[in-house]
This record gives sequence, structure tokens and C-alpha cells, in this order.
Amino acid sequence: MSKEFLGEFEELVLTMAGILQEEAYGNAIVSEIKQRVGRDVNLSAVHVTLYRLEDKGFVKSKMGGATNQRGGRRKRIFTVTNAGLAMLRNMKEARMDLWKLIPQLKMVIV
Amino acid sequence: MYRKKLLVTCFRLPVTGNRKLITHMKENRLSLRFLRWFCPPALYEGIEGDLLEQYEYDVEQVGAQKANRRLVWNVLKFFRPGIFLRNRFSNQLINTMMWGNYMKVAARNIQKRKFYSFINAFGLSIGLAFCMLITLYIQDEKEFDQFHANKNQVYRIEEKSFDTWRHDAADPYRKSAWIQTGLAPTLKEELPEVAAATRFNEGNRVIFRYGDKVFTESVAYVDKDFFTMFSFPLLQGSAERIFMDKLEVVITPAIATKYFGDEDPIGKTIEIDNNGKQSFTVTGIIEAPPAQSSLTYAILLPQENRNYYERNMTNWGNFGTPTFVQLRANSDLAAFKTNLDKVIDKHMSAMLERWRKETTVPIPPDVKMLEYEFTVLPQIHLKKEVSWEKVSDPQYAFILGGIALLIMLIACINYISLSLTTSAARRVEVGVRKVVGAQRNQLLYQFSFESLLLAMSSLVIGFGLVVLFLSSFNEFTNKAIELTLPKAFQLLSIGLAFTLITGLLAGSYPSWFLSRFKPALVLKGGFTSRLQAGFTKPLVVLQFALSAFLIICSVMMFRQMRFITTKDLGYNKEQILVIPTQAGWTEESDRVVEQFRTRAQQESQIVSVSGTSSSFSQGYSRYGFKVKGEQKSAYVYAADPNYIPTLGIQLLEGRNFDPAIAADSDVVIVNEALVKDMKWTDPLNEYYNWREDSVGMGSRVIGVVKDYHFLSLEQNFEPMFLSMDKNNVGYLTTLLVKVGADVTAGLDRVKSIWKELYPDKPFDYTFLDEDVAKQYASYKRWMSIMGLATGFAILISCLGLFGLAGINAVNRTKEIGIRKVMGADMQTIFILLNKQFIVLAVLAFAMAAPLSWWFITKWYMKDFTFQVPLSWDLFALSMGAGLLLALATVSYHAIKAALINPAETLKYE
Repeated sequence: MSKEFLGEFEELVLTMAGILQEEAYGNAIVSEIKQRVGRDVNLSAVHVTLYRLEDKGFVKSKMGGATNQRGGRRKRIFTVTNAGLAMLRNMKEARMDLWKLIPQLKMVIV
Repeated sequence: MYRKKLLVTCFRLPVTGNRKLITHMKENRLSLRFLRWFCPPALYEGIEGDLLEQYEYDVEQVGAQKANRRLVWNVLKFFRPGIFLRNRFSNQLINTMMWGNYMKVAARNIQKRKFYSFINAFGLSIGLAFCMLITLYIQDEKEFDQFHANKNQVYRIEEKSFDTWRHDAADPYRKSAWIQTGLAPTLKEELPEVAAATRFNEGNRVIFRYGDKVFTESVAYVDKDFFTMFSFPLLQGSAERIFMDKLEVVITPAIATKYFGDEDPIGKTIEIDNNGKQSFTVTGIIEAPPAQSSLTYAILLPQENRNYYERNMTNWGNFGTPTFVQLRANSDLAAFKTNLDKVIDKHMSAMLERWRKETTVPIPPDVKMLEYEFTVLPQIHLKKEVSWEKVSDPQYAFILGGIALLIMLIACINYISLSLTTSAARRVEVGVRKVVGAQRNQLLYQFSFESLLLAMSSLVIGFGLVVLFLSSFNEFTNKAIELTLPKAFQLLSIGLAFTLITGLLAGSYPSWFLSRFKPALVLKGGFTSRLQAGFTKPLVVLQFALSAFLIICSVMMFRQMRFITTKDLGYNKEQILVIPTQAGWTEESDRVVEQFRTRAQQESQIVSVSGTSSSFSQGYSRYGFKVKGEQKSAYVYAADPNYIPTLGIQLLEGRNFDPAIAADSDVVIVNEALVKDMKWTDPLNEYYNWREDSVGMGSRVIGVVKDYHFLSLEQNFEPMFLSMDKNNVGYLTTLLVKVGADVTAGLDRVKSIWKELYPDKPFDYTFLDEDVAKQYASYKRWMSIMGLATGFAILISCLGLFGLAGINAVNRTKEIGIRKVMGADMQTIFILLNKQFIVLAVLAFAMAAPLSWWFITKWYMKDFTFQVPLSWDLFALSMGAGLLLALATVSYHAIKAALINPAETLKYE
């Protein structure tokens, strides 16, 4: 799996799915991204990305229970798999390692 | 935090919200249905739910209307490959892996059944070649006159006036591009929107003389503006300075080389004889017009040099000058029309009122005597109601397209029926593939791929055929299409589109049929080797009906052409030379005839010499006049006493003109149609007052000739008379020379006499029978096209039938073997195998006969007044020939099957 790479958007969606836990479905992820990153994203783009992540094995999905809302349609809930978590962690660590290599700027007080 | 908000939202949307949602949803049912259509079922619920949730939220936030719009937009955004291709993903993966195998199997199949593959490829490539040629034709028609930079501002002015010759209440107008000579300068002067104007008279024959080179040339009379309005490139000379003087001439490079060779033509003077010799200076060289130009010319002269120019400039009643105007950019066409009406009111109202009163054909008061209309330059070519040299009927494109479609259809039917009947052999393949795990979709792909492969190879062959036959196609359609590289690419891409369509079309049913087999049934071997593809029979009937339709049509055309060319025209058209006197419309012409006759009397090879105003098919004069208050009209030919004997016209009553009787200059010889028109009972005692002579009684009738076809056979016998009246009918401008049986010797003799008498005049001659035949050139072309198409259609469908018959015979090999063992003789087997094809062919003919009858009478025969009768034997003959052909095609297999030793076929059992 280490050969698989995640795109920036894929990583964002995967992270949000991790945050939202059992509430992680299409709309919620869109709103969450808007809420937290301030970015307007496309519902259809999120869906397609989720399916792609599912193909790669980073999330799994199941249908939630039916409610009165949403015209009675069930939600497709996505859960991050262990592989997904590992991927997120790897990416974060790789990035941190790289970050440490950048010479830190020092504030100069006059 | 979000979760909380979400919960709140959910609670804020109670059941009432849901009801509202349902009512709103009605409007959005369509978009959701669209979503359901493209969305994989597994994903559908989740996506729709999300969309609806967003929708509910939007309804709350921005109102129902905007929310509806957003929903539609959101649904559209889901229409992306990541969604709608998702459920096909697995198939595609395998398919790409299977391509190699498909390719291999297809190649093996083609190889294994070489003959059927040949039939299919042959038919399809001919069909595709036809389609591509028709595309070229239509493209060429569309490109006509498109090369002019000002094409959208240049208009041709047309006359629309009450047609006194034709009495048709539904459409009483005549439309013509020939209008008054004075109109172009008037329009340019009086109408502000007219930026430029030119007249264009083409096809006037004058004599050119430069040194010892003397030729008759066809010249076009134009105005100065011609060079700026149209985009014909001037190679030498400047558009601003050309035609400042009346005695200037502009020529094409071909003419320049013809007279001046390698010398620089600019500034040279050339003598032009047009009712009087004058010297003209060459001031410009203009490129010859391309084939796709409605205007053709070789030599341009200023309008002012036309005969009777001054007189015509002031005569608003003489319509003989095509006129083009260029309007200023953004001119209002409606305003232009009203301005044209004003011009009519200003210059012609008095004359038009007089015409209205004088005419005896009552003109309805709501009909305007004269109106001007105009057509923008690129549309001239297809405006068939206004006659023009290169005008074309858009119907031709349809007919050609129809023919191509027919051939394509026949070829496709071949493909379908052959693949269906040979499908037995591939049944096991289908079964095995299915068992191994192929889905139906995949098999569909595979078989479509095979048909596409075949169609593609046909495209290559078809394109080769196009390149090969383009020149003959040009000849047939009277075009000059060239296949340049960009055009070839364009054509190839269009051909590719045709190929894809036909490949899929022809391949769809067979692949659907083939992929339907149930593996369990197929592999168990429960089938006999025969296959019931019931669908092939109607296909064969259709195919044969199409061929029969073409056969009957082309036989009919052929008969009509034979009828026309062999019909007794009432005069003798053989061995007659038609020679223009080249002396203009003057008494000089008469003298030429006389001189020539005197000189020719000593020659044994020249039978007789006569003069006339115009030979048949080279134009005519028609006079309209009133006799006793009744509008009459008649064609008139100037003649001399030798006219009737030279042409062998039959004199029914009275006598011929007699040179000894001086009064004969004022008598007429009429034809039967005129007698009937005048309702005379004793024509020899009648006077024909065609000059509307108010004092005298008119011309005495001295003879009646039997009706002969001085017009083309499209027209009926019309009233006609012959006269020697020089002043009113005109001079003998054409020599008719009848030579002896040895035509070439006679021609040589005539030529040498001409050179001897008139060394400075060109000797232009035609043969009368060729002139007459030329009238039917377009019909002849259509006949050849139809004949060619029919030939190919028959060939393709016969090949298909041959293939089918072969399969049929193979399918029944065992049956035949058993029958032979039981004692059937060859005849019985022959009949057994051929019976069904005969039935199909008869059925096809029964369908095709009424259709072709309708087509031929509606479209083709209506042009001819003199028609070959449509009789039953035409249909019987075509059907007999078709049946015979079909029988011959299928017999090969029948005989082969009948001759096989039954031991051979049965021993494997």
C-alpha cells in the first residue's frame, strides 16, 4: 500500500471522513470542509473521491438506517479503514520529517 | 460543532418540510429520473439522499425556486465518468485485455470464410464509395460562389412579372434574371444603398482577329464594377483603371496565349468583329473563373459595346441583361425592395399600365405587372426557378443521396443476413465464451468490433474506389471536383463517420442475435446444424425489392432515351452541317448563304444548301400577337426555298417557297399545330396576320407542313411558321448544308469551300443530329448514373443471394443426401432448393413495381411530352430478367448440392 499515493483532495476528504466518524457521508463532508477549511467543494467531486478511496481500500461504506429526512433516503456512511488511517499517519509523518528539514526562521527584534 | 448544527437542521425540517419537499419534488422529477438513468444502482440511494438533503437545506435558505435550480445543477454535476462509468468498470478492464483475442478471432473468421468476407467487404466498400462521392457532390454544390469576399453583399436582381404565355392561376408569375439594360446605372445613381452595380451578358459570339489568327469567341459584357464586386483575381492591370474606355478588353491567360503566345498581351490591340470591326486594347488579364462559379467568362468587354446598346438603355421594355448589385454593409433589404418598387413607379409605370390594358389575357388587378426581386450571390446556384447557366436543382442531391443510401442498405442487408445464417458456426464459440465467464455485453462488443473491423477495411477500399472513379463521376454529374489533400482528409473523416454508423447498424442485429445463445443449450448439442433465422427472409425481400426498383427505373429511363433518340422527328437530321454565317444579323448573312449555295452547286459531295435564322436547339424566336382580339403565339423560322427539301420536311398541302415569285417574300408556310390553333378548315385560303397589320390581311398561307419536332421532345408541337420576310423575321444567319453519304469527305469539302470564300472568317460547324442529341444530355447523364447504380445494386444483392443460397445448400446437405437415396432426381432437388428464392423474388417485384411506377411517372416522365408508353411488358421484362438473374445466382449451389454423391454426405452419420 505504501506505493499508493493520495492526492491533496483525496487526503482532505479522507481526513474529514476520519473526523466525522459515523456521520461521514457526502453532504456532511462538504459542509465540514466548508466549516473547517473554508473551501467550497462540489458534492459530486466528494462522492467520486470517496468511491475512489473505497477502491483503494482506505474507506469502506455501508448504508445507514432510513430516516424521515432526505425524502426517506438512507445515507451512505463511510468509515476510514486501518489502511486509511495508516496512510494518513504516514503522510503526516513524512510531511513533518520534511518540515523539520526547513531552517526555522527566527524573529529579529530591533 | 457541525454535528450539532446538522442535528438542529434536521429537527428544523419536520414532517411538514417533507411534504413541501414532495410538492417541490414534482418539478424536479425529471432531473432525478436522469440521475437514476445514468447512476449505478448501487450508488443511487446515497447520492440521491445527499442531493435531497442539500435541497431541503437550500429550500430553507434561499427559497424553493433557487433550490430547484441548484438541484438540477447538482444532478448535472454528478454526470461525470467517475459516476456513470463506475458500474462498467470491471467489464472495461477485461475488455481491454480481450482486444487482442477479439482481433485474432476476427481475423481467423475473415480468413475462414473468405468468400463471405469478400461479399461483405465488396458491398460495403461500394456503398461507402457512393456515399463519399455523394458527399463530395453536395459539398461542391454548397461551395458554389463562396469564394467571393463580398458574397453576402452582392445580389442578383430578378424580374418577377405576370406570365402571359403560361396560364397558371396558382403561380402566374415568371421569374427571370434578364432585366432591362438601363437598370444597373439607374440603381447605382438613384438608390443610396447600392454601392456598385454591374451587368453581365455572357455567351455572345463575336469574331476575334489578331494577325492570321481568326476565331469565334464567346464574350461577356460587363461593367467596370465587375472587377471590384467579384473576387476574380486580376493578374495584370488594375481594377480602378480598367474599362475607362469603351474599346478595352480583359482576357483570361488561356485566351492571351491563344492569340499572343509568349508576348506580353497588355497594350496589344485586337480586332473584334461584332456587327462591324473595331480595334480593342488589352488592358487586363483576369484569372479564369473556378469551376464553382456561377459566372463564367473567358473574355470581358465593356457593356457599351453590345449591339443596340444606346437604344436598349432607354427602352424599359427590353429584358435582356442580367444585373448584379452590391449593397452597402448593413443595408436594410426590406427598404431596398421598396426602393426598387419606387424605381419601377418612376420609370416604368406608364409603360406597365399600357401593357396591362393592351394584353388580352386578363391580368388580375391584384397582380403587379412587374416586380424586382433579388437573390444573394451564394444562393443563385440552387435557385432553380430562375434559369441561369449553371443553376442546379437541389433535388439532384437528394436523388443521388437516395441512390447511395439504397446501395448502402443493400450492402448492409448482405452483411446482416450472411452473419445470421453463418452464425451456426459460431454458436459453440459463444457457448464456450459464456461458460468461461463472458457477459453478454462483452459478446456484443466482440461482434460489433468484428463488424467495425470489416467496415473499416471497406472504408479503405471504398476510398480507393473514390479516387479511382472521381473522374468518371465528374463526367456523369457534369462537375469538376478535385480531391485535394485537405479535402481528402475531410472526406476520409466523413467516410469514417459513415463507416462507424453502418458498421454499428449492420453489426447490431447479428451481434444481438449471436450473443443471445444459451450456453447450456448450445453446448449440449441439441441443435441441428440448421438455423432458423427467420429475420433473413424479409431482409432478402427488401433487398431484392430495392434492386428491382432500380432495375425498373433504369430500364424505363433507357427506353425513354431510346425512344427519344430514335423517334422520327418529322425531318431528316442526318448528314446535315450547321454553320453560322459569321456575318451578323445583316443582309450580308443572306448573301453568304447565296454565295455558298452557288459555289456548292458544282460539288458532288454537297447535296443541298439552305439558310435559316436558327438551327434546332440553338434558340428560337417566338412571336406573340393578337388576331381578332385573341392572343396567339407562334414560333418562327426564317427560311429559304431550299429549307423544306434540305431537311426533308413533309409538305401536306400547298407549295414550297418559290424564288421566282417575288410575292413569296410575304407569304408563310405553317405547321399543322398552327392550323389547329387558328381553327382553320381551309388553310390555303387563309391569311395569317402575325404582324398585326391593321391595313392588310396579313401574310398569305401557301403551304402546310406536317408537324415536326423543332423543339425538344419535352415539349409538344407548337404553332410554327416559316417565312422569307427579311424585315420582320430576320436574316438567314445559319447555313444548313446537307452532305452526301460520305460525311467526312463532305465536311472536308465544305471546309475548303469556306476557306476559299471567306478566308478571314472562322469555320464553326456542328452536326444537326448532335445538336439535337445535346438537348437530352442531362437525361442521358442521369440514365448512366442510374444504370451504374443499378448495376452495382444488382451485383451486390446477387452476391448476397449467392452467399445465402450457398449456406442454404450446405444446411440441407444431409436432407438432400437422404432424398437422393430415396430416389429423388436432380430436378426435384433443384426445385426444392430454388423454390423459396423464386417466391421471395416475386414478392419483391410485386412490392417494387408500384413504387417504381410512381417514381418514374412522378419524377422522370413528367418532363417529357412525348413519352414511351408505360406498359406491362416493361414490368414483365424487368421481372423476368431479375428472376433469371436470381435463378442463375442460386442455381450454382443447387446444382452443386444436387450432384454430390449421397454417400459423401451421409457417411459421417
